[in-house]
Amino acid sequence: MHKKTGLAWSAVIVPVLIAAGCASLPDEATTRQIAEGMIKVGFSATPEHAKRLVQDKSQQICSKIGDARLTPGEADEVLKLARASIKYPQSGKLAGDWKVGAKLAYNGSGTRIRGGKLEKAKENGALCSNCHVLDPKEFNVGNIGPSLAGYGAQRGNSDATVKYTYEKLYNAWAYFPCSNMPRLGHNGHLTPEQITHVVAYLTDPASPVNRK
Amino acid sequence: MFGIRSGFAAIAVACVSAMAFAQGSAGDPLGVGRQMLAEDNPGELWVERGKTLFHQKRGPRSASLEKCDFGIGPGKLEGAYAQLPRYFPDTDKVQDVESRLVTCMVNLQGFTYQQAIKDHFGTLDRMSDIEALVAFIASKSNGMKMNVPLSHQKEYDTYKAGEYVFYRRNGPTDFGCITCHGDNGKRIRLQDLPNMTDQKQIQAVASTWPAYLGTKSTVLTMQNRLYECTWQMRLPDLAYLSDLSVAITSYLNHQGNGAVIQVPGVKR
Repeated sequence: MHKKTGLAWSAVIVPVLIAAGCASLPDEATTRQIAEGMIKVGFSATPEHAKRLVQDKSQQICSKIGDARLTPGEADEVLKLARASIKYPQSGKLAGDWKVGAKLAYNGSGTRIRGGKLEKAKENGALCSNCHVLDPKEFNVGNIGPSLAGYGAQRGNSDATVKYTYEKLYNAWAYFPCSNMPRLGHNGHLTPEQITHVVAYLTDPASPVNRK
Repeated sequence: MFGIRSGFAAIAVACVSAMAFAQGSAGDPLGVGRQMLAEDNPGELWVERGKTLFHQKRGPRSASLEKCDFGIGPGKLEGAYAQLPRYFPDTDKVQDVESRLVTCMVNLQGFTYQQAIKDHFGTLDRMSDIEALVAFIASKSNGMKMNVPLSHQKEYDTYKAGEYVFYRRNGPTDFGCITCHGDNGKRIRLQDLPNMTDQKQIQAVASTWPAYLGTKSTVLTMQNRLYECTWQMRLPDLAYLSDLSVAITSYLNHQGNGAVIQVPGVKR
């Protein structure tokens, strides 16, 4: 009696198996080819805006899938590229005006595209509060990055600290390869001058970030 | 005989292990509570309007959508959304609910593609027909489990492409989906971010879209939601119904498999 049922089932399942053709997950190279093809036609973008979709070498390295980790060699390459990318303001002064920096730090706008048009903004915000606590009294802040409350109170504002902070803001991957933080200066989101103001907001003893 | 049958079973397991079969809502002790919550859901307005639109004779051919095949046969809506996106032989594409709906609006009702997708995202002043229809169609899988198939080669390809894109960092902020959706308990400012590498959390996402958003006072489809994500990531406009958008949805929805669908979701 099982035979008959078995045959009846085979009439159903065999064609399904043939149709499925023993389909399987594509390998890495095939996946990349398919996905990159989708990305090429997956946005309505002007040629200028479409450039945003092209990954640089570091972004490629930093796009590890699933639990895959950076190799030491890859981390080193991202670090080197990031260090080489850092440019300093013409004035040579790395800490600017903390009050200007305060406005930038809580400004999350700039460079977004809707309907093919770039958003209108006087300047790009520094996006800090999207992910970090800054002034401990401000509650509308994110937590993707660590709290920066007391940043300067803890580290001081020596030349070395100021330089480190400037470089970290300009290209975070010079210290933490592939961290979540945008490479704000390297990507042109902030100018070197804007970065000096954010540096001041973080390090200046008078800044609300460092108030006791 | 048993040899044949077990060999057969082995092939079936090896080859179509991921083939999915719809499951009922039995064994969902929270169903009653969800039902009660759903009773105050403003998204129901979209479902009701979508129901009317679905059965109405519309378009140059004056046809309803009642013969639309969402993957389990023409006119069969119960449980169809639970298995989307999936491969459709007639279009030779993997389609999500929204792109499939537009296929039917073109093929059955005679709309041009451009007519069909006009005003696809709703605003405060104007409810989108497509978003209402999607809310209705998806709601016909309420109480059932997400069961997105991986069996056709294009389904595998699309799923893996979605995964690739999820981890791809790009644009002036170096963001990928993973940047905001890869860890527990994270927020952008005060907005909670689901960790989409965690099965429970991704199930909760996949089973509650389309959703009514309080901050926008409208129902958003996943197409609309993904568009907003890429906007915030500083990428160009995500092309509506693109293979790319379907790939991301395939990746998310397939991982949501097993979650009991309750749409429209209600979100902030």
